[in-house]
Amino acid sequence: MSDSRISSDSTLPAAAADATRSLAPEWSARFAAARETLRIEALAGRGGREAQRRYAAAVDDLLRRLASHAAAVAGPLAPWVVAAVGGYGRRTLCLHSDIDLLIVFGGPIGPAEERFLSGVLQPLWDLRLSVGHHVRELGDLDVEDENNPEFELALCDLRLLTGDVALFDEICARRRPDGARGARIVATLLPLVEERYASFNDTVYQLEPDLKRAPGGLRDLAAIRLLRTAAREAFAGRVTPEGERLDQAEELLLRMRAVLHATTGRDANVLTHELQETVATVLDMPGATPRLRVEALMGQYFRHARRVVRALAWTRAVVRPPAPVADPGRISAHVEVGADGVRFADPVLAATQPMAWLEAFEVAIANGYPVSDDVLVCIQENVGRYPAEYFVATEDARLRLRAMLDPRPGLSARLGDMLECGLLTALFPEFEKIRSRVIRDFYHKYTVDEHTLLAIRSLESLRHPVSAGRARFASLLNELPAPELLVLALLYHDVGKWRDDDHATESARLARPMLERLQLEPADRATVEFLIREHLSMSRVVFRLDVGDPDVVASFASLVGSEELLKMLCLMTVVDIDAVAPGTLTPYKEDLLWRLYVDTYNHLTLGYADELISREEADRTRVFAECPDDITEEELARFLDGLPRRYLRVFSLPDIYRHVRLARGLHPDEVHLSLERRDAIWVLTVAALDKPYLFSNIAGVLATFGMNIHRGQAMTTPDHLVLDVFEFTDEEGFLRQNAGAREEIARVLRNVVAGATDVRTLLRGRERSPLHRRRTDIETHISFDNSHSARHTALEIITADAPGLLYRISRVISDMGCDVDLVLISTEGRKAIDVLHVTRNGAKLDEQDQHALRQQLELTLEDY
Amino acid sequence: MKLIKSIVRPNKVDDVREALEKLNIPGMTVTEVRGHGRQKGHTAVYRGKEYNVTLLPKVEIEVVVPDELADDVIAAMIGAARTGEIGDGRVFVTPVEHSYNIRTGERDV
Repeated sequence: MSDSRISSDSTLPAAAADATRSLAPEWSARFAAARETLRIEALAGRGGREAQRRYAAAVDDLLRRLASHAAAVAGPLAPWVVAAVGGYGRRTLCLHSDIDLLIVFGGPIGPAEERFLSGVLQPLWDLRLSVGHHVRELGDLDVEDENNPEFELALCDLRLLTGDVALFDEICARRRPDGARGARIVATLLPLVEERYASFNDTVYQLEPDLKRAPGGLRDLAAIRLLRTAAREAFAGRVTPEGERLDQAEELLLRMRAVLHATTGRDANVLTHELQETVATVLDMPGATPRLRVEALMGQYFRHARRVVRALAWTRAVVRPPAPVADPGRISAHVEVGADGVRFADPVLAATQPMAWLEAFEVAIANGYPVSDDVLVCIQENVGRYPAEYFVATEDARLRLRAMLDPRPGLSARLGDMLECGLLTALFPEFEKIRSRVIRDFYHKYTVDEHTLLAIRSLESLRHPVSAGRARFASLLNELPAPELLVLALLYHDVGKWRDDDHATESARLARPMLERLQLEPADRATVEFLIREHLSMSRVVFRLDVGDPDVVASFASLVGSEELLKMLCLMTVVDIDAVAPGTLTPYKEDLLWRLYVDTYNHLTLGYADELISREEADRTRVFAECPDDITEEELARFLDGLPRRYLRVFSLPDIYRHVRLARGLHPDEVHLSLERRDAIWVLTVAALDKPYLFSNIAGVLATFGMNIHRGQAMTTPDHLVLDVFEFTDEEGFLRQNAGAREEIARVLRNVVAGATDVRTLLRGRERSPLHRRRTDIETHISFDNSHSARHTALEIITADAPGLLYRISRVISDMGCDVDLVLISTEGRKAIDVLHVTRNGAKLDEQDQHALRQQLELTLEDY
Repeated sequence: MKLIKSIVRPNKVDDVREALEKLNIPGMTVTEVRGHGRQKGHTAVYRGKEYNVTLLPKVEIEVVVPDELADDVIAAMIGAARTGEIGDGRVFVTPVEHSYNIRTGERDV
């Protein structure tokens, strides 16, 4: 034979087919009895390690007889060995597993050896067994087969069945998994593990797990043992963290797999929904109904699979220690960073300091560090003593928890750790309802809790998008002022799935106690509730309605109400679909979602001017129903009539009533204002009667004090009432450092609006300063739209942001004789996105007006 | 036998499926596709930037039916997928020589 290597994917030469082969009837009967015994044991729930060991022994016996007989009739043979490898080598042989064999000859393979092979293998095939055979001459084993890493790994479980003992010793000497060969085995195995994990999205929480290949399955157990053998020195003196629990996990997996093989009659390893019921019954899981028994089975499976995954992670970390995460050192009084991640400075003390637990995760998430096992164990042992309220008892704790949820790389992994150690369900007890929750449908591949964490992982991955398609959505994430609210909504979006009906409504109901505990602002609370309640709405529109129909877009725009909620709902939809299963979020679906997003965004920003609050509107009715005593219905109606419908969607009821009071008793040239702080953001609300340059003057006053406007909106009613709301940061610390700063801003604003002070004079020094020049690396886009509104021209300006930008833009518009009726201001990083609804002499701008205004704006922005 | 392939708006899949179910058509294949007909896609403007969406998302539905049912199936597909607007899609009909059941290896008659 020219090529002495024969594997199960190659056939024996024709000459061997008629070689002597024999299977004595009594051997066949004995073997059949062994298989039947294993089948019966498997269907009684006892097909674990011992049963499989007995079956492997029966196969050993058969092979010894076959080899002995074949050697007797084949003629003079080179020394030979028949050995078991792989799972069979480990004596874990399931009913329909491959029987992996290595047959080695001490000399060249000639006709006699071929007859021998035929005599061993043909009877096995006649028995319809699946045989994985590898045939080698001894010399072949000097060279490792780089193209067949699985074979190299299977050799590590080499077990002599029969043959020449001296030859077997020689084989073992050549392929012993230690020293340099051990290092090569590690190098071969680790990428295979990573590849396998990636194909399962790196999670154990598969709804229909593959008991062999999935993370936490039998392959992992084999990998753990192999790594610990191949890198024996690295484990010297170490105590493995899992104790006896790996044996328990293996026993369960083997028993489950045995049921699958016995039930299906083939090498089936995927625990499908249908087979889960069978396995749960066979393994006598507790529960009065099949569903409860399946839940008990899967709960047990996930618990064991998690242990296996952790044991493998620990093993991998020992053989390939990760690069130290940071210079070891103390971070705070409670937390330090070591080579294995974030640790407690004093573990004994930390056991009674729950706020230190949160601090450990804060540090880990903020710096991209892992959390050490010691921290997780400490929390796990003590977390049961503290209710959810304990962790959010102070304003500081609430704000820190909220900040921790900002989506960034590593957040979902740490949330997963928090789930494992019980901290997540201590903080958010409602989440416990979907712990390892299995929902059967055609689409989802993971348990509900894991789907949730994968959705958050998908969101955080948008910080570094991998494709242009995803980059579009990434830009939305970067524009969100409070992305942590989206994470909060994602955490709760499916908690209602503990019940089988309308889960979105149930999820929103379960979120309310959490929103109470966190004491979020009413507007933030409404945002989270809306996202949870409506998290399926965008999918429904995209996949069931015609997104090319303007009425469909208008209706969807009416549902979301503001571009901020639109962005959040769009992102929620994208990551929710992405977390269903690998490949579910296709570029096709991305395009459909993006199209609806763009059309709805344009409707909300360019087309909202004509949609005024109507008397029949439910939101308006709600404002009247809750109206405080100091505001009359007439006053409220006078204020609301003529405002765009958008107003009711973006402001909370307390805001609306405050605006009504602010608008009371206004006289020409007067301004009523309120200035309040919300975390790092200041909010200036101004009510005045409209007059030329009003908007640019207000924006100019904020610029004179070094305020950087991030968001805002301005609205004008047909009665000339102007309501402007600016959200800005105090870049130069004027408000922070000066006790009378608020009064000073108000005084200057009143003077400017009254015409007593010229804002241009105040700004002169700033405009000349090179410190306030804009960066020019962001391209400027100026566009006009006359199609979305019957009354206004929508002017959209996208350009580099800088203090005073809004003042300059609005000043140019006023200089050109145009009126600014509505304004939307937003920023994305250093990019300003302003949409202004303007008119000239009460009409839309014609092409000539647009051309002239564009030229002036371009000149101003170039010179800035 | 005829292979009837229709390209329809994504939101019309359920309507077409229901129409085919009423005709007792036992199976179908649905594929996400992208393409354009005479309308050549559409132009969208987002934040002042214009971009062309040349290939619009559509759904392809394929069924194989006996010759005598083909006309009814075509009529059902058209009836269910039509909105009257540009972009409603197309139906293509091609003859099928044979079909086989992969599990059993049997040839359908």
